[in-house]
Amino acid sequence: MHNVVIVGAGPAGLSAALAAAAAGAPVLLLDSNQRLGGQYWRNSSQPIESQKDQHFDLDTGMLLMNAVKARKEITVWNGAQIWSASHKDGVNTLRVLHQGEEKIINTANLVLCTGAYDRTLPFPGWDIPGVMTPGGVQSLIKGHGVLAGNKVVVAGSGPFLLPVAAGIIKAGGQVVELLEANKSWRWLLSPLTLLENITKLKEAFYYIKTISQGKVRARFGVAVIAAHKGVDGKLESVDVATIKRNFKVKKTRNVKCDVAAIGWGFTADTSLAGALGCKLKVAKDKGVVAEADSNQQSSIPGIFVAGELTGIGGAELSMAEGVIAGISAAKFVGCKVEISKAHKKRRAKKQRFADALIKSYPVKSGWLTWLKNETTVCRCEEVSVGNLKYAIEELGATDSRTAKLFTRCGMGLCQGRVCGRSVVDLVAAELNISPTDTDRISAVNRPIISPIPLGVLAAGE
Amino acid sequence: MQSNIEFTFDGQKMLALPGQSVGAALLAANQRTLRKTRFNQNERGVFCGIGICFDCLVVINGVGNQRACLIEVTAGMNVQTQVGSHA
Ligand SMILES: Cc1cc2nc3c(=O)[nH]c(=O)nc-3n(C[C@H](O)[C@H](O)[C@H](O)COP(=O)(O)OP(=O)(O)OC[C@H]3O[C@@H](n4cnc5c(N)ncnc54)[C@H](O)[C@@H]3O)c2cc1C
Ligand code: FES
Repeated sequence: MHNVVIVGAGPAGLSAALAAAAAGAPVLLLDSNQRLGGQYWRNSSQPIESQKDQHFDLDTGMLLMNAVKARKEITVWNGAQIWSASHKDGVNTLRVLHQGEEKIINTANLVLCTGAYDRTLPFPGWDIPGVMTPGGVQSLIKGHGVLAGNKVVVAGSGPFLLPVAAGIIKAGGQVVELLEANKSWRWLLSPLTLLENITKLKEAFYYIKTISQGKVRARFGVAVIAAHKGVDGKLESVDVATIKRNFKVKKTRNVKCDVAAIGWGFTADTSLAGALGCKLKVAKDKGVVAEADSNQQSSIPGIFVAGELTGIGGAELSMAEGVIAGISAAKFVGCKVEISKAHKKRRAKKQRFADALIKSYPVKSGWLTWLKNETTVCRCEEVSVGNLKYAIEELGATDSRTAKLFTRCGMGLCQGRVCGRSVVDLVAAELNISPTDTDRISAVNRPIISPIPLGVLAAGE
Repeated sequence: MQSNIEFTFDGQKMLALPGQSVGAALLAANQRTLRKTRFNQNERGVFCGIGICFDCLVVINGVGNQRACLIEVTAGMNVQTQVGSHA
């Protein structure tokens, strides 16, 4: 029997590995992280029991991680960075850098659980050292035991701001402001969905308790719209604005801080799925995700997709999808196993909650009015708003792809992972048009997944 | 308590805990600037923290374009600020 190859060892990948192994399939589970857990259960090299403070539910994570380590059907490769992938005639070829060695995997069967990363919006000063993503601040605490700064402003939108603020307080830091751009925790108004997802409510209160112990009051309808550096070049303060529902600024005040953690939800990491040729689509939040059928199969037979990659929905939905993907993959390699109704019911329940959340935290186009001509959009290639406007007004670019070619916007080392989504909106607004799905999907088109490692080049690639 | 690992940043002696990334250890020492950009010489540091943004690039043992947020500190590592693209 062939291996089930799973990429990503977060909630989705761990669940998929266990489901496939339980069905009798040999599993190879790879992740670029040095440890299992993904983003949600990110942990450090310290004894894991000592890290529970930073988690709402590390117990579930430990249960899954220990089970994965205990099952002899599962081989784990940590520290395995997939830097290139292709699909031809039913065979997927992955080039992996594992423990300094290049390895090539050829497999008809793959489960992609590559997760997501923080969505960011450009604003004046967002490239000053000290402005970070909430996920970045959290990963430093969870993964390395380091507080990024002493006085932190946490801002943006979405429920993820809660665990980040709580984590900073638990680690001994000060959250000077907790700012949600949208008006209220509107999902509290969807009682039926909440009731059937009661653990989510418990999770929210768990964070809110810590936050209130830290004497922080969350403010709603407020956003960080600019950052300023001091004479030492480091972040010194941010401009905090009361905003309207459409995100246009009402009034502004200045707040001193040494770190600003600002995020607007998540963007799925479709790099690997895209490189293999899996069909991508635009989700309700306008983010690009991998398309999945009811068995979590992508548009390519034998490639299964699960977790945030198929739509932003949190750890529990990722687990529910992971189980189904793992069963499907095991079936694909010949195991006698079926997806049960209960599995699909669980996934549907978690999906309803995810849908309610997404609706409650929209990112409204008024953020475009925060930009100035000299604001950096593409951090890698140092392209400004003014450069993009010039490409449109003077060079005649009529879509984001052309504007990108004229300016190299989104063509640097991160390959548009950071600015790509915003550039599509910015260019469309400048042209007074609505972005098409093709615009959005082509913005995540990346020829290689990770810039080619130097060692591989030197070896004569 | 685990012992600290010694490494250098631009020639200065630094300490890290086992398993810490270069970026985390430098931030713990309040060292926020990791590189200077190619065109405007702007200072940049850890931004995404998880290997996505490529803003935390440093030169490690002479090899440039290394993501400080991903690479674990090892004893004696020689880390330098990256200026420009370090081609
Ligand atoms: C920084 C960050 C912090 C988060 N913290 C929380 C939190 O505290 N609470 C919460 O509810 N939600 C959090 N989330 C949201 C979170 O993404 C989900 O709830 C959950 O972790 C999703 O599970 P997943 O299995 O889909 O993906 P993830 O947990 O993101 O796992 C994906 C894994 O795939 C690996 N991977 C991706 N591409 C490759 C490749 N090419 N080669 C090798 N490995 C690869 C990654 O290293 C990662 O470990 C966080 C998200 C981010 C980005
Ligand atoms: S901080 Fe983004 S890649 Fe290191």
